[in-house]
Amino acid sequence: MTMEASPPAISRQGYSAPLVGLGSFIACLLVIEGLIRFGLLNRFIVPPPSEIVMSFGRLFAEENIVHRFFFTAGECLLAGVMVTIGGISIGVVMQRFDLLRRACETWVAAFASAPLVLTYPLFMVIFGRNAWTIIMMGFLSALPPVILKTIEGISGTRMILVNVGRSFNLTPAQQFWKILFPAALPTIFVGIRLGLIFALINIVGTEFLINFGGLGQLINDLAERYDLSGTYAAICFVILVSVVFFIALEKAERWLRPVD
Amino acid sequence: MASGAGSSDAILVADDIVVRFETPEGSITAVDNVSFQVRPGEFLSVIGPSGCGKSTLFNVIGGLLNSHDGVVTVAGETISGPHKSIGMVFQEESTFPWRTVTDNVAFPLELVGMPKQKRVERARHFISLVGLDGFENRYPGELSGGMRQRVSLARTLASEPKILLMDEPFAALDEQTRLLLGDKVLQIQQQLKQTTLLITHNITEAVQMSDRILVMTYRPGKVKRIVDIDLPRPRTSEIVGSEAFGRYVAEIWSDLREEANRGMRDEEKCALRREERAS
Amino acid sequence: MAETSRLRQAAGSAPLISQVTLLRIVIILGVLAAWEFLAHSGWLYRDVVPSLLAIGRALIKLFSDRTYYFHLGVTAAEIGTALAIGGSAGLAIGLLLGGNRFLSKAFEPYLYYLGPTPKIIFFPVMIMWFGVGPESKVALGTLSCFFPVALNVAAGMRQIDKVLIRVGHSFRASTWQMVRKIYLPAMRHPIINGVRLGFGFALIGTLLAETKLSNKGIGFLIIQTYSVFDMPGMYAMLIVLFVLAIGANALIGRLGGLESIKRN
Repeated sequence: MTMEASPPAISRQGYSAPLVGLGSFIACLLVIEGLIRFGLLNRFIVPPPSEIVMSFGRLFAEENIVHRFFFTAGECLLAGVMVTIGGISIGVVMQRFDLLRRACETWVAAFASAPLVLTYPLFMVIFGRNAWTIIMMGFLSALPPVILKTIEGISGTRMILVNVGRSFNLTPAQQFWKILFPAALPTIFVGIRLGLIFALINIVGTEFLINFGGLGQLINDLAERYDLSGTYAAICFVILVSVVFFIALEKAERWLRPVD
Repeated sequence: MASGAGSSDAILVADDIVVRFETPEGSITAVDNVSFQVRPGEFLSVIGPSGCGKSTLFNVIGGLLNSHDGVVTVAGETISGPHKSIGMVFQEESTFPWRTVTDNVAFPLELVGMPKQKRVERARHFISLVGLDGFENRYPGELSGGMRQRVSLARTLASEPKILLMDEPFAALDEQTRLLLGDKVLQIQQQLKQTTLLITHNITEAVQMSDRILVMTYRPGKVKRIVDIDLPRPRTSEIVGSEAFGRYVAEIWSDLREEANRGMRDEEKCALRREERAS
Repeated sequence: MAETSRLRQAAGSAPLISQVTLLRIVIILGVLAAWEFLAHSGWLYRDVVPSLLAIGRALIKLFSDRTYYFHLGVTAAEIGTALAIGGSAGLAIGLLLGGNRFLSKAFEPYLYYLGPTPKIIFFPVMIMWFGVGPESKVALGTLSCFFPVALNVAAGMRQIDKVLIRVGHSFRASTWQMVRKIYLPAMRHPIINGVRLGFGFALIGTLLAETKLSNKGIGFLIIQTYSVFDMPGMYAMLIVLFVLAIGANALIGRLGGLESIKRN
């Protein structure tokens, strides 16, 4: 449903294209640097890239960015565990009771596209301006994909495997744990991957918005202090963390389904 | 025996076509010194085993492949891109799924800016010609494979090309549908006196429909033989049972078998080589 | 076995309300009942779960408030503009990357990996560049919706049945004719999906930005209700927002889907 487009192919031979891409990016940075130094671009709106790079050191030394990173990571981990247990359980129950599934699956799909994160003021009222609000935002936004993919994975089990289980006279519980659930795992993991990505995005976003927490809060803080290069540097750092997280999840998913 | 037509009355002339491709394994000559002519109103089939370069030839004549040696001329003009006198019918499903049958057939007329009323009229005429009356407002998704190919045919005919160029248009259809559609195409061709060049691997189809058959060798594709088909016109699919038909088929098959065998042996060699490289 | 059970159902009279609808009604009523119970139980701090009546009253107040429609208009205009700019840019870039292998390999990875990142953190930069007015919200919305559109269009280009392109070339269609009559219609599904996602992200981006720093728009109103602890008001606004968002999403989906019922 979301960006399920497969990762772009980067051929083993032929590095010319990726190099051109990287080169253009660096060229842009150099052009911006030049424009600022020659006064064509206001350095109080766009700080020189060189200054931004140097601010990274400050982030590590003064702003405790490592500690903040682990704080955010902790929130994600907690949200991740909650959504894995909660989402899979709900998905299993919904798949098991067909009527329930037919009644509620479209609702869950609708919530997947709804702006859940906009309820953060509500959760601020309930939990206060603290980590639980942030974790709840991550949890709720990650829930729909996990539920939907769990249902999809279990229903998608090939009939032949189900029949094998029946031929061995497995009890429904055994049938579930030994056949349906393992067969559904690859699809379920896709759901968890999507969910974790949403969780991270919403967690960092909520940290920024309510000015509490780890990395998101850092950006907000630096911006309110008018530390321009620091703000830009922090944003870059968060983007970097996001990208690394995304790549790691992709690798994990590919490792889990080598047959595909 | 190659039948000579005076080049003065040929409408399509292919002169010494050579097509080479660069692959990681080296240079491959797909088509080698192929020359032939097509007379106006004639039905010429090009037949050969898989790998003889006939689809490459199709693309060259159609103007979709321009990196070749040799020259193709249509009514004296050299082809350097898709030519307005040549209409192409492709092997794969090529109807636009988002357009009705009428809009599909009217497509070439739309491109040249024909006004809507006239377009629809013209399209209806060709839809009727291919026997799809009543399906004007249906979408290709609602039609069978054979019907969709008829839509593609009608679409190409609607542009009223001097030469109809078809690349195995019935390859994806079952035998009975193919025979009946072949009948239809033959009917239309005889009615319109449409010059037609058909690329095929199906001997029965070729003999059923053609005035002449050009047999190609396996790669590099050369002209092996040109056979005159002296069966009476107008023809229908009933002719498939006649003795003369059988003789022509046997004649062409004996030519083709040699080439097909070479093709098979070559494929086996390639497959072995690939396995060795992979291990 | 399955056949006979299906036959049995068909033979019996079809119920007026299907079982599914019945269950849905039961669930909704159950949730509402539990809600009302919670509201009056006094377990939670007052008004965190207001009674349904209070929420109902807040909804009526909302709909009869002139200024609400003004703010709705502001937000809608911001989202519309963001979608228009981000969508067109995404379409253009997507067509470019989808049509050219080299460019795709050079630049598409950036879009692909930068897509799933939190865009709201760019808001301080948007404020620096565009000021505190609606422009910065539009800018953030544009940034948010650009990526899904561009990626979906690029992928859509590559999935076009190649033979359709050859048909266009064989009829000597001009480049503009190819785009309008072949590429775009052939890609209508990926484009609609991209726009759907883009709309969703533009909506979220714009609204979050409004909650952060604005004096107009629905996001601003929601934060206002938070700061004065007008909980029924907040719930009312969130309900309307969700209904509108889900409705718009379904509408866009229908626009693409209705075609495909017939055409594919």
